[in-house]
Amino acid sequence: MMAAERNTVSCYLDEKTFRLCCQRFLQHSETIQDGWSWEQIKGTDEGFMKKTLLIPVKSSILNKQHECSIQDENMETDDIQANVEDETAGVQAVCEIHAVLRYEYHVLYSFSYQIPVLYFRASTLDGRPLSLEEVWSNVHPNYRQRLQQGPWDTLTQQEHPLLGQPFFMLHPCRTEEFMKPALDLAQAENKRVNYIVTWLSVVGPVVRLDVPLSYSTEVSAPD
Amino acid sequence: MSDNAESPTETQKDDPSIQHAATEHTGASDEKKKIDVLLKAVGDAPIMKTKKWSVERGRTVQSLAQFISRFLKLEASEQLFIYVNQSFAPSPDQEVGVLFECFGSDGKLVLHYCKSQAWG
Repeated sequence: MMAAERNTVSCYLDEKTFRLCCQRFLQHSETIQDGWSWEQIKGTDEGFMKKTLLIPVKSSILNKQHECSIQDENMETDDIQANVEDETAGVQAVCEIHAVLRYEYHVLYSFSYQIPVLYFRASTLDGRPLSLEEVWSNVHPNYRQRLQQGPWDTLTQQEHPLLGQPFFMLHPCRTEEFMKPALDLAQAENKRVNYIVTWLSVVGPVVRLDVPLSYSTEVSAPD
Repeated sequence: MSDNAESPTETQKDDPSIQHAATEHTGASDEKKKIDVLLKAVGDAPIMKTKKWSVERGRTVQSLAQFISRFLKLEASEQLFIYVNQSFAPSPDQEVGVLFECFGSDGKLVLHYCKSQAWG
């Protein structure tokens, strides 16, 4: 391996830098209409970034007991692709009907970990919250296998620290493992990165939140 | 790459869409359907003996990551992370051809990769 000396960069983020990174992130979001907003908690100086997405998924990721209602909902759309091989077989077995889920993402600062944390909640269009199992089914296949090696402390249900409502959260304990290489690399090139851009580009896609490439070049690091 | 192939000893011969780039060829090979990718290890990631690859433009980052993981014989519990422009992780569904258009220089796309334990 490389024997070159490395000045390691801290993977921690102080709250002020968190806010500055978010500010710049939000400016670019505004420019490309990427849908992020800042939510301030009334009467405090705490806040978070928020974005809502509608995500089409195969309804097979939803629990069987709910599939019927989803099928009825979508009967009138053009999205249905019935691929019934055997007319007498149950429709659920071979039909690939698409459902639309609503994902709401929040980027919060964790004072205890001193890094950002991604919270999200997911529901069907008729407002039914997804179960942990269903959310798991919708984790991006690129990450699903490894995440399932130890799901209990990776994707968990948590009370939102600022709203007090039940959310899902990607546990931040492993953040250093993917932030450190990126931060070290940038430092080796004498570049500074916007922590939020780098961090979200890694964690977002795990739970179906993509960060457009332009963030990588258009969002600067705070001074 | 055959997405069905699960053999850990699969070599690039089984994968016509990801080929060892000969040094004389530039990104102009195969009517520009392929782009040259240079893979660089960071952190504790194993260094690939072959670093330069010709990859079909339509290949996704996820597919390339799977290829690298198999090539490096990573454990099932290890996650590969890929970065473009040093510090940005492209979406797994992103096509490498698009990354090349945005970040390619000198006829190649430089991608850094590292590995970590599974989350949790």
